[in-house]
Amino acid sequence: MERPATGVTYQRFPRVKIRELKDDYAKFELRDTCASMANALRRVMIAEVPTVAIDLVEIESNSSVLNDEFIAHRLGLIPLTSSAAMGMRFSRDCDACDGDGSCEHCSVEFHLAARATDSGQTLEVTSTKDLRSTDPKVCPVDQAREYQQALGNIDPYDGDPQGDHRGILIVKLRRGQELRLRAIARKGIGKDHAKWSPAATVTFMYEPDIRINEELMETLTLEEKTSWVESSPTKVFDIDPNTQQVVVSDPEAYTYDDEVIKKAEAMGKPGLIEINAKEDSFVFTVETTGALTAYELIMNAITVLRQKLDAVRLQDDDADLGELGAHL
Amino acid sequence: MPPAASAPDAAAADGDPEAAPPVPTYRSLAAPVCNPVDKFALLPAFLKVRGLVKEHIDSFNYFITKGIKNIIQANNRIEARSDPSIYLRYKDIHIGVPSLQVDFRVENITPHFCRLTDRTYSAPVYVDIEYTVGKAHTLYRKSNFIIATMPIMLRSYACVLNGKDEAELARYGECPLDPGGYFVVKGTEKVVLIQEQLSKNRIIIDTDNKGRVIASVTSSTHEVKSKTVIVMDKEKIYLQLNRFTKPIPIIVVMKAMGIETDQEVVQMVGRDPRYGDLLYLSLQECATERIYTQQQALRYMDDKALPGAGNIKDGQAKVLLRDVFVAHVPVKNGNFRPKCIYTAVMLRRMLDAILNSDTFDDKDYVGNKRLELSGQLVSLLFEDLFKTMNEFVMLRMNKNSDMARSSPLDFSQLIQQDTTITSGLERAISTGNWDIKRFKMHRKGASQVLSRLSYMASLGYMTRITPQFEKTRKTSGPRALQPSQWGMLCPCDTPEGEACGLTKNLALMTHVTTDQEEGPLMNLCYSLGVEDLSLLSGEEIHAPGSFLVMFNGLILGKHRQPQRFANSMRTFRQSGKIGEFVSIFVNEKQHCIHIASDGGRVCRPLIIADKGRSRVKEHHMKELRDGIRSFDDFLRDGLIEYLDVNEENNALIALYEHVDQDDVERSSITHIEIEPMTILGVVAGLIPYPHHNQSPRNTYQCAMGKQAMGNIAYNQLFRADSLLYLLVYAQRPLLTTKTIELVGYDKLGAGQNATVAVMSYSGYDIEDAIVMNKSSLDRGFGRCIAMKKYTVITEKSDRIAKPQRDKDGDLIKQNMRALDEDGFIAPGQIIRNHDIYVNKQTPKVATTAPGTVLTSRDYRDSPAVYKGVDGETTVVDRVMLCSDTNDKLTIKCIIRHTRRPEVGDKFSSRHGQKGVCGTIVQQEDFPFSERGICPDLIMNPHGFPSRMTIGKMIELLGGKAGVSCGRFHYGSIFGEPSGNADKVEDISHTLVKHGFSYNGKDFLYSGILGHPLQAYVFMGPIYYQKLKHMVLDKMHARASGPRVLLTRQPTEGRSHDGGLRLGEMERDCLIAYGASMLIFERLLLSSDPYQVQVCTKCGLLGYYNHKLKVSFCSMCKNGENMAKMRMPYACKLLFQELQAMNVVPRLKLTEG
Repeated sequence: MERPATGVTYQRFPRVKIRELKDDYAKFELRDTCASMANALRRVMIAEVPTVAIDLVEIESNSSVLNDEFIAHRLGLIPLTSSAAMGMRFSRDCDACDGDGSCEHCSVEFHLAARATDSGQTLEVTSTKDLRSTDPKVCPVDQAREYQQALGNIDPYDGDPQGDHRGILIVKLRRGQELRLRAIARKGIGKDHAKWSPAATVTFMYEPDIRINEELMETLTLEEKTSWVESSPTKVFDIDPNTQQVVVSDPEAYTYDDEVIKKAEAMGKPGLIEINAKEDSFVFTVETTGALTAYELIMNAITVLRQKLDAVRLQDDDADLGELGAHL
Repeated sequence: MPPAASAPDAAAADGDPEAAPPVPTYRSLAAPVCNPVDKFALLPAFLKVRGLVKEHIDSFNYFITKGIKNIIQANNRIEARSDPSIYLRYKDIHIGVPSLQVDFRVENITPHFCRLTDRTYSAPVYVDIEYTVGKAHTLYRKSNFIIATMPIMLRSYACVLNGKDEAELARYGECPLDPGGYFVVKGTEKVVLIQEQLSKNRIIIDTDNKGRVIASVTSSTHEVKSKTVIVMDKEKIYLQLNRFTKPIPIIVVMKAMGIETDQEVVQMVGRDPRYGDLLYLSLQECATERIYTQQQALRYMDDKALPGAGNIKDGQAKVLLRDVFVAHVPVKNGNFRPKCIYTAVMLRRMLDAILNSDTFDDKDYVGNKRLELSGQLVSLLFEDLFKTMNEFVMLRMNKNSDMARSSPLDFSQLIQQDTTITSGLERAISTGNWDIKRFKMHRKGASQVLSRLSYMASLGYMTRITPQFEKTRKTSGPRALQPSQWGMLCPCDTPEGEACGLTKNLALMTHVTTDQEEGPLMNLCYSLGVEDLSLLSGEEIHAPGSFLVMFNGLILGKHRQPQRFANSMRTFRQSGKIGEFVSIFVNEKQHCIHIASDGGRVCRPLIIADKGRSRVKEHHMKELRDGIRSFDDFLRDGLIEYLDVNEENNALIALYEHVDQDDVERSSITHIEIEPMTILGVVAGLIPYPHHNQSPRNTYQCAMGKQAMGNIAYNQLFRADSLLYLLVYAQRPLLTTKTIELVGYDKLGAGQNATVAVMSYSGYDIEDAIVMNKSSLDRGFGRCIAMKKYTVITEKSDRIAKPQRDKDGDLIKQNMRALDEDGFIAPGQIIRNHDIYVNKQTPKVATTAPGTVLTSRDYRDSPAVYKGVDGETTVVDRVMLCSDTNDKLTIKCIIRHTRRPEVGDKFSSRHGQKGVCGTIVQQEDFPFSERGICPDLIMNPHGFPSRMTIGKMIELLGGKAGVSCGRFHYGSIFGEPSGNADKVEDISHTLVKHGFSYNGKDFLYSGILGHPLQAYVFMGPIYYQKLKHMVLDKMHARASGPRVLLTRQPTEGRSHDGGLRLGEMERDCLIAYGASMLIFERLLLSSDPYQVQVCTKCGLLGYYNHKLKVSFCSMCKNGENMAKMRMPYACKLLFQELQAMNVVPRLKLTEG
């Protein structure tokens, strides 16, 4: 990176190119920015994009094998559709209620009542079947998907529509056992508890810049080429079946493992390949828990990041930071 | 097996790459095909029939089926002194079904019922008796007459669980994985530990602490126990017996037993002139004492004997020689010859040892050890108690018969009233004090509470062997690893510290024998050509080429063709004609054949090989897999046999049939190991790749595996242990071993597979601390449940009151909020510190006149108050009510606390690498890979170089390969050749196939800055255990608090909210630093300051009269010279105590 002269603005104009976008998966390129920017985005996606998750459980009756805290913990980790979360209030900031779930601004009430009646079969209490929300906007993600499917909106990216969609298992009940509870879901962020994190996987890599020294490569026999190509644990290189030339088939599969470089050295051909990380371009992979769509996650992250930056800017002005105060 | 039988197999041998050299020789062609993996199936088959703790159950079964009958038989008649025709005879004895007598009704009980209600799981002991009553001597017979109730070992024949399948066990509330082998006494589970002893009735040649050569025999028969020592002192040989005041020259002893000529003595010992040389001085000494005949010898010995009964010395020597001297050799009809020969053999072995120091016996050699199991211990106890009861009954009968009585005398009534046996058995097992005067046995800690901290801990208890000798000695010999332990005792599992190497554990396949009947075996020996010694002269005993035959330490005779004799005995054993645990050991050095059928020997099964070729063939294994053949069939068909430690010396055991050893001739191999991994015990068996670790690490893990939290048993939630730690999401290890699957650790795991990155992070990871990912903890990693039991026992007069409310219905006391309307705490309620959990009330007056009705005013509150940690949310799990054995109401409240890991909690991998949680870091700050993998915890790489736990690295690699390919990988010890452990090479291939680097390292990005980390990081899953040591239970601080009454100093210890001691060394530091005011503050002001009045004249302490507001010296009888000073109360106390002892401490004050 060239150092700009004094007085020159550092401002850059990052570009985003979306490679792939599914409901819960996204892959995009982020160019013309530095690692701190990319990492900030990643960190916000993991820890600071708000979602809704069950936070308070009132157990009326529990004769299952799992104890109350156990079930409460499991309920908390069920992802709930949180598209509305950005507009909700944190229950600690909510002045309309005292966070007991009676307030529509900050909480959503859930009910669960299941009883295994006299059949020999074990009853599986799942998030799809048994967890009932009072607010249609906030419900377990697999319920939402079922609903979408019922409407005929079949997720085009769902690889296996006939697959196992039984939902998340909460507890198994034997004959005569019962579970009845009331739960309140609240807004929160992943920093406080991982249950509020909408991100399953958020990661990026530096885009590799792979340069094959074609001249040197041509000195290799086909066997040598094959063995060199195979020395990479991931499938980065390939041999063109027609020209028998080594081509870079998938540069992003490269994991910076240096295996090919070591192999080239071992073959007595140092400099056969040169791989550098492009320090200003990143390939992001985002997978969500389903609480938000990948698109929402990215956009919300950018919003949160912007709010935080605003807050920094406004700090001198002693302005009311609103809910951002929590993030600072 | 004839060689032709394997001919079809021979061709296939070429397919085996390891066994086949390039040019097929006869040897390689003849090599039978035995796929090494197949042999493994024998191990589960073995454990299926034998169980994990069969030795305990076997020995108890032996006791209740055979041992107890023998005891009754030996003492079957008691009679009245006044009239011997009034008698009682025991005809038979048997054990009933575990049951309980409630209100004259018999109820069958289950072990779990006993655990929950604090009862003893015991069964009635029935006898069939025959007795006469009264003057008329009417004969009565009674069968199923109860003489006692006896605690029953779980899963023994007498137990209701015996032979039950999983569903039935579940109905009994029992965990199918629980091995049994312990007792339930007063609600607690008690294990009678295996005791290790030196074997009885065997000659041991050793040196004593003065360096003299000794031959010693500890004789033990049912009647007597004695120790005979023959010692060589100043080249002369003496007999030492504690009943003689002085050592007796051994030749005198021989003469006293009837060997009068010196020639015969020498002949008996052996004709080798070197023996004669060594015996010369002893013979001469005898001659100088002018002892030539038996009479003279006996008279000489009479003088040296301690007086016997009636203070008579005459004839005492003969009695001692008959009954005490090598007491286990019987003297029939006054025939001392067997004893003479035995003594001669002892002498001969002793002289051998002097001539050749190789022939000394090793006391630590496992073959010289016997293990005493619960059956034997209970048997001893029962025998003693049975005899005591009979004596007691006879005593009472005699007492009664002296008086005129209206009802006729009846033994059976007296026995019925007697509870000696019942209470004696229960007391011994519950306290562990085995005090049996009759057998001079005083043992403490013979039984211990079965630890239910983890499944491994309880299994470990069942296989533990405790030593008999004291642990304090700093000897290294008994602590060292013995080569003879191979395959019998686990080389890894031993505690650290004082019991290191003394407390051992059984290996996986070890069996401990029980006694077997001797008579038939002896007869068999004679019919196989053993020549009886009584027919042989002294000369002939040691004829060259013939071997002495020793049977359980007795000299049976000699045999001219020892090898042939041994072979035929072994054939009998292999064909099942004699017991499978009889050992036939040919000792070439001693020219002896030892045949042993006694109990307590350790042995293990091995595959028999004929000239290196296994008798177990592929078709046998197929039958086993198809379920047609069981392990016992293998034994019965002579494919497998049990060898004890001694007999192993006659065997050459190969690890694998197909692997050629360079230095061993294949045809000389006699046995093949079933599985090399059985060298380890149960607890060490859960370490993956232990053979790649530095050995102490495995030992550390063995200790730590027992502290790991996890699932304890399938019935864990129905148990009422006083403390129970459970892991919320326990997993089975990704990298398993075969042992793990065999013992069921995969079903009751005690840990979680954590993704570990081996790197440095944040500096909070020094000294083995680990950095944990907060999100992992949020998601349930390391979350545990601690359940604690609080018991309240109410007296009969107590009552449980409702929570008191005022007229608005509000609680009067806030600490009653968790109570239910019945006065007990409500299950599911959150209980906080100082809350009441049982609202008990006690009458104000202890005794009331009968018929008075107590009102509320007559009661005072005596509630049970919960003492917990402030700020923690604990929940009531269960409340259980039961009546105890005294019909008092017992309330057991089980209070549950779910904890997530916090800084300071202890974790450990399975390689003896423990560490505390150093810090907890947000997930976004954690490093991540471009696949999005983020570790659960970070471990500092400095943990590796000095610990050398390569096994842990391979576990990481194997685990990583396991998660990527979806197959559990194995890491059994020495498992690589047999396929029970994955090789690193194969693992690397798998890793590369799934896009990882072959070496398990990943390219990570910093989570804080987003830049790539400088080095590749070794990352993958490792099975981590959460250990029971948690800060929550340990943290402690206090400002001011309780003080001890006597010294007024702060109390000691966390449980008493004690102060933190500024000890001597800390004090020394402060002195050296010169911080006098700090010392003053710590030792006086913050401890026990006290103001005293000192008389400056007499220097003694006076007192302050608060009424008159003057101080006064009671010594000088005035208050003129009084001075005030401050001193520690403890110091004032010391002065007063000294005065009480007539020591006058006078204080001299410089300023008044």
